[in-house]
Amino acid sequence: MTPGQPLASALILAHVLERPLRALLSIVGVGLGVLASVAIGTANVEVLRSFEQTVMTVAGPATLEIVGHDLGVDEEVITAVSRLSGVASAAPLLEETLIVASGDHRGEAIQVFGLDLLTEVGARGFRIQEADRERALEGLFASDIIYVGQELAVGSNIALGSSLEVIAGGRIVRLRVGGLIEGKNGRSSLWDRVAVMDVAAAQVLFSLIGRLDRIELVTQPEQQVDEIAATVRSVIPPHLIVQRPARRTEQVENMVRSFQLNLKVLSWVGLLVGTFLIYNTMAFSVAQRRREIGIYRALGMTELRVAALFLTEGGLLGLLGGLLGGVGGIWLAQTLVSLVSRTITEIYVPIVSGHAVFLLDRQSISAVGKGIAFGMGVAMLGALAPSLEASRTITVRALAPGDYEQAQQVRGRLFMWMSLIFLTVGAFSSLMGPVAGLPVFGYLATLCVLASLACLSPLCVQALGCRIRNRKTAAATLGGTLRQVAADHASRHPGRNAVTVSALMVGLAIMIGVVVMVRSFRETVEAWVNETVMADLIVAPPTWLQGKQVGHASRALPGSLEPVLSSIEGVAAVDTYRDVQVEVQGQPVTLVSRALRVHAQQSRYLVVQGDSTATLTRAAETGGVLVSEVLANRLGLYTGEQVTITTPKGPQTVTVEGIFYDYATDGGKMVMERTRYRELWNDDRVTVFAVYLSPGAKSGQVRQALLDVLAQREERTIPPIVIRNRDLRREILEIFDRTFLLTYVLEMIAVLVAVLGIVNTLVTAVLERRREIATLQAIGASTKQVERLVLWEAVYLGLIGAVLGVIGGLALAWILIVVINKQSFGWTIRMTVPVGLLIQAVVLAVTAAWIAGYFPARWAARQPVAEGLRQE
Amino acid sequence: MLKLDQVSKIYQRGEATIAGLDRVTLDVATGDFCAFVGPSGCGKSTLLNLIAGLDRPSAGEIVLDGQSTARFTSNDWTRIRRESIGIVFQAFHLVPGLSAEENVAFPLLLRGDGRKAVQSRVEETLALVDMTHRRRHRPSELSGGEQQRVAIARAIVHQPKLILADEPTGNLDSHHGADIIELLRTLMRRFHQTVLLATHSIAAAEAADYVWTMKDGQLLTRTAREPLPIGQ
Repeated sequence: MTPGQPLASALILAHVLERPLRALLSIVGVGLGVLASVAIGTANVEVLRSFEQTVMTVAGPATLEIVGHDLGVDEEVITAVSRLSGVASAAPLLEETLIVASGDHRGEAIQVFGLDLLTEVGARGFRIQEADRERALEGLFASDIIYVGQELAVGSNIALGSSLEVIAGGRIVRLRVGGLIEGKNGRSSLWDRVAVMDVAAAQVLFSLIGRLDRIELVTQPEQQVDEIAATVRSVIPPHLIVQRPARRTEQVENMVRSFQLNLKVLSWVGLLVGTFLIYNTMAFSVAQRRREIGIYRALGMTELRVAALFLTEGGLLGLLGGLLGGVGGIWLAQTLVSLVSRTITEIYVPIVSGHAVFLLDRQSISAVGKGIAFGMGVAMLGALAPSLEASRTITVRALAPGDYEQAQQVRGRLFMWMSLIFLTVGAFSSLMGPVAGLPVFGYLATLCVLASLACLSPLCVQALGCRIRNRKTAAATLGGTLRQVAADHASRHPGRNAVTVSALMVGLAIMIGVVVMVRSFRETVEAWVNETVMADLIVAPPTWLQGKQVGHASRALPGSLEPVLSSIEGVAAVDTYRDVQVEVQGQPVTLVSRALRVHAQQSRYLVVQGDSTATLTRAAETGGVLVSEVLANRLGLYTGEQVTITTPKGPQTVTVEGIFYDYATDGGKMVMERTRYRELWNDDRVTVFAVYLSPGAKSGQVRQALLDVLAQREERTIPPIVIRNRDLRREILEIFDRTFLLTYVLEMIAVLVAVLGIVNTLVTAVLERRREIATLQAIGASTKQVERLVLWEAVYLGLIGAVLGVIGGLALAWILIVVINKQSFGWTIRMTVPVGLLIQAVVLAVTAAWIAGYFPARWAARQPVAEGLRQE
Repeated sequence: MLKLDQVSKIYQRGEATIAGLDRVTLDVATGDFCAFVGPSGCGKSTLLNLIAGLDRPSAGEIVLDGQSTARFTSNDWTRIRRESIGIVFQAFHLVPGLSAEENVAFPLLLRGDGRKAVQSRVEETLALVDMTHRRRHRPSELSGGEQQRVAIARAIVHQPKLILADEPTGNLDSHHGADIIELLRTLMRRFHQTVLLATHSIAAAEAADYVWTMKDGQLLTRTAREPLPIGQ
């Protein structure tokens, strides 16, 4: 440490402590920005880590797995593969979900694994503590015995030996807790939070005799895994997939990559706005200490040291903000993990979030470290320009009496050109395609639009003053005079005020952009739902509305129900809808099979070209398929082209008869005739029955008749539910709204940081104008009138920010809809501009500015007048 | 018109206690032109600030128009300043965003006067200070002398009984300074106003009816002068 360093530290500390409120404001602003980014980053990582841990823990020593997605794997495959050279062992696995049917924890889901317990206890990293050791072996195979993870048992009040009423595969059953399981090494693991059963018992329990979810293979270490995989592929049905367990994690990662990236980018907005906030704080700090800087320079401090002094001060604020945001972010991430998991589960794939308890572990420390790095980075970036400006202080002027800070003049022409350049680059970027599937240029276009508007903001602020200076008549009212004084003052510092305006503009533009995008998306989805969800009633499995769950036993109904439903009076037609996850050309695809002719008559698909009825009828006749716009884009498919799909009966080439808009999933959808599907996949199950009523039939009566018929079918079975059309539509839109909940939270954080920026600016303005305000009070201005003056300035800044924010928001909405969303997810969204919403946003911004100005205004009006008059 | 009885103003600066004004007793009659002279920090501005209600005394009593101000609230003082007090500052302190006429109109607008009344009053007052031709100009477009004329117009536009001028010539050359003092004298005689002038300038003080010398927050000597005829 050089002798100068303690002195510099003392100076920095003294400056920070001199205005503790402003320092606190900056720290909180940076902290909020960091909080959002750390929370999203941590939650994103935690969700996938949790999924990966599940995959890897269950897989244990397995190096390969055979999967059949939704349709599962025939257990006979195990015999064929276990005797292959290179395969050391082949273990069956069934993964399902139980729903607690009674007690305090009713409705809770329990993930259950069906394993070959006799051979695998001990091999998968858990051990069982049995209730009845003497009958332990017998218990292993009983279909009503379940072994529950210790943590789950504690959390759900499940005692060893107790019985548990659950819903399994649509039936209510009573299971006995035969033992508690725990991780072998004593540390918390996945096994503490799930339940296991013997695979045969699980097959009986879930009515999945002969079916497995996957077969896990342990290969001989001396042989190449890829070679063994090729051998395995040669002896199993063609539609089954042989892969390394880690590929499941990769698939999920790929699936949610765009979703997570969008969240992450949104979470950075707070950081961006925080940069403006720090700029503002440091710019004021420099202005206020101009004389002091002159003294430093006169005493021999170099320009570099002056810049370093201010940069370090900014860095210190960033460090504290980063620390605050890092710790807060970890805390927030605990809530976000479940929210992100839920969204991913609802729109992509079931993910169990596990328990996100962040302790003082390496991950938490790294997240806080990241927060500090973000905070310091953002703060030092924000402090850079003011620090350089400080270093360029003209010593003589700074030491001379009078104001150093003259009314600033911005280089209008330069800013105009910069704005145009950014706009042009943004426009070109928006025309570029994705990079590695990610809308990198879309994000660049967004940044360019914001930068272009930020360049315009000093001109707008200055124009505020020009308008007043060029007016022809004098202000004749007090209101007019106060507004004029406020506008003039705002315009006298276009540089600094433009930063506040820009911060508000960025926060607002992103809020408007996202809201317009979400609203447009919602209206598109609503129109799509209205035009395509035409069935009067939907007969579905009881858990169908509860979102995706691990396992498929309860996600389907027997196809034999169709004639039963059709025979009910008032029912005109029944469509059998089946959706299963398959892989087409390596892409996860939702394969939908249904009675296309019924659908053609009663409902429609929103086809990109042509007529729905004709397209559906043609597909039914030719055995061709319709593919969703997303899948068509992803695989480069066009109408009339042929695509090869792998089925249990081998590869089949089908013709693409049409492309349709679909917003149910971004994973892609393929639709085919049910009879063709049954023939190829040998699957008679139905996901839901779409029931169309005869003209004049009463929906309520038919629904009751359906419920009655379904209730009589089997005892102790939860009957399928019958959903009314309007309820289904509502549910779809509720899921949609939940998906964007997190987006709104992130936006609010950005706007909050922007509001802190306004508070900061107004405090600055008030401090700078203490003499002016004191003069007004001396000539008779009351406390309220001074408050009004400061509030008008806030409103002016808010108004400019709002106008630019609306312009930026609309541009951003367009980029989000046409570029980012299209390249990320492939959906076509019709952009609608909700005028009412824009007005609300403007009112919100101006109100936020007004509220932000209230406290500085109150403070200003209550300062000692004589002291204010003494200020130079 | 104005009485100060044992008025003190004490400032606390860390451990130290500084008497800005030390037991000042003063009696000013209506129509008096009284100057306070003394070195920097002697308490001239503090005295004017206390009389204007811009600051509160630490001890003693100020009586304005026979009314004790001891219990005046901040709002009461605002009202008093709007009605009865006009202030002229050394650095003019015009509002930079407003033109000359808007600056002059400001005190009237602040107290809620009607548009027409304000307009005619502003025109009249600008004519009195000979600034009608510069009424549309902003402070930055006016010379120091012109700015101070506008500041005087602003101080008298609401026809106050008491004008407090704190170093009004401090930022002006001697020629313009003399003009300003002359203007103040003319106006006070015409409208029978009381003027309290704090100044360094002996020349400015000579225009007053009597001069108080101040030192270390105390009034030392009072020197009365022969009243000058109007216009001289």
